[in-house]
Amino acid sequence: MLVLAWRNVWRNLRRSLITIISMASGLAAIMFGQSIMKSLQQQLIEKATGSITGQLQVLHRGLRELKFPDRLIDDPASVEKALAAQRGIKAYAERIMMMGLASSPTSSEGTLICAIQPDKEPAVTTMSQYLVAGDFLQHEPKGIVMGDRLASKLDVRLGEKVVVMAQGQDGSMDADAFRLSGLLHSGSLTFDESIIYVPLPAMQQMLSVGRKVNQFVIRADRLDEVSTIREELSQRLSGGPLQVVSWEDIDHEIVGIERFQDAILAVVLFIVFAIVALGVLNTLLMSFFERVREFGVLMAIGARPRWVLKLVLLESAILGIIGTALGLAGGLVLIAYFGHAGLHLPVGDAFSYFMPFPDVIYMRVIWRDHAFAAVCILATSLLAACAPALRAGRLRPAEALRHV
Amino acid sequence: MSERLIPGPLIEVRDVTKIYPSEAQVAALSGLSATFQAGEFTAIAGPSGSGKSTLLNLIGLIDEPTEGEILYQGRKVSCLDPAAAADFRLRHLGFIFQAYNLIPVLTAMENVEYPLILQGVGSEERRRRALEALRLVGLEAFAGRRPALLSGGQQQRVAVARAIAARPLIVLADEPTANLDSKTGAQLLDLMQSLNHDNGVTFLFSSHDPAVLPCARRVVRVHDGRLVDPAEGVAQDLDADRVG
Repeated sequence: MLVLAWRNVWRNLRRSLITIISMASGLAAIMFGQSIMKSLQQQLIEKATGSITGQLQVLHRGLRELKFPDRLIDDPASVEKALAAQRGIKAYAERIMMMGLASSPTSSEGTLICAIQPDKEPAVTTMSQYLVAGDFLQHEPKGIVMGDRLASKLDVRLGEKVVVMAQGQDGSMDADAFRLSGLLHSGSLTFDESIIYVPLPAMQQMLSVGRKVNQFVIRADRLDEVSTIREELSQRLSGGPLQVVSWEDIDHEIVGIERFQDAILAVVLFIVFAIVALGVLNTLLMSFFERVREFGVLMAIGARPRWVLKLVLLESAILGIIGTALGLAGGLVLIAYFGHAGLHLPVGDAFSYFMPFPDVIYMRVIWRDHAFAAVCILATSLLAACAPALRAGRLRPAEALRHV
Repeated sequence: MSERLIPGPLIEVRDVTKIYPSEAQVAALSGLSATFQAGEFTAIAGPSGSGKSTLLNLIGLIDEPTEGEILYQGRKVSCLDPAAAADFRLRHLGFIFQAYNLIPVLTAMENVEYPLILQGVGSEERRRRALEALRLVGLEAFAGRRPALLSGGQQQRVAVARAIAARPLIVLADEPTANLDSKTGAQLLDLMQSLNHDNGVTFLFSSHDPAVLPCARRVVRVHDGRLVDPAEGVAQDLDADRVG
């Protein structure tokens, strides 16, 4: 049966090639679409978690807003101990994050104050990579780093004083003077205009909070282990006043974007599958009507109806397997190329308000999604074959032999 | 070559009527009865539309009678379900069609092998029997050719080889010479005759060509779905016929 099916596939070379090419290009297009969306999402997550959020955070329970923790962790040492025992953690850093005011002799601006450990923070987030002048708090114990747009608004230059003001735990306003030691340019409006970085010890001193912090920011070895680490770390810290949250809890906007993109992708995939199915159905129906008499002959010489049905399904399976294999190969080549060279898309501007984001997407192979698409294409080719196969199986030999 | 020669009728057609569903409800066969013996070389003769092909289709179990029944060696087969009928055709019947009806994507050898593949015959035995059948029809040298590279006469001979390769009880041939020129048609009939005489293959074939009929050892004439002479429907004793 396999020999007959194989030769039947190639008896109309042009038609079979068109079907195979349409399946292969459909699958390659689906893989390309999947890769663009998923790579964009991955880059988005990497940028969001890498810029400020981290992949996991340890925070006090009962916060009004996870992004701006309003309660301090009284015993940071216990968290450090738990983190030291936890597997899968690449790096972590302590922080105090809060809203405040940055003032120069000529101007004041509301900012997000990010008090960091200068030696540990670069292992968790990447903002130091956007430094365009000075250093990232390595030398100045009371240095301050800010975006070039904010510096421009405050009209301050490297080495000049900036007064930072924030509300202390008791509700009073605390202030201290810092010296501008570094300028950033990330391309993101929010980061370049609204965030300042100061050393954590200086901030703790300004707020008179001792060694207390309000956030531990964690980077995992692997992004896909985040939920496992979260569970395990939560176990370690259970019974206390602390909670472990993931980037999905904090940056729920990104989760929303991800879901929206997945929904769009699903609609596109459905349309492509439908087009592929119609193409295969067209080919098989044409092939069926051309060969009704031949099916009659096969039945007359002793082929059972189910055998004829299987023959048509097998022909479709052959078309499907070849189309899928070529589509997989084509899709992987495309993704490998754009994974290496990068795909230039004007997405940086779209996301720059929220985070620094490049205009280049480096495409990645999303094996699970591609495998699903390949199975769907194969299944589509078989489903499309069901109608002609059932018709072939129901033919009556005498009528089929009379078919012209 | 034929499976066996047994006493008594090989095929009994009992009071068969076939009406094709249409507005006119015309009966292609009306209460036709006939018997056929193993080893016969019988022609069903009649003009176009007389019911020859319908009778062959019913005997070949590729169509079902509206009324009446078909028996093979006393067993009623006209009520078999499609799968059982396909199995019966596969095991016991061979077919030759007017338009050759070889499978175009297979070689002559593979066409002949096909019923044997469906029967589940092992590849070595299959090849041996297919080559033997091709040798009997004189086309051993053309075994590797596809039908498109064979003449009409050669294609019909491959069809004969396909029909006899599975060693059926009977070969049913519907107008086997109609698409051939007179010389090639005569050669094909000679081949069928020699297979019948030398190898014991039972042939039942239809023809509207009066020139073909003298080749047959028995002629059953059909007109308007009935036998012209009901006595022609009764098979004669084969040995007596041969002596005669």
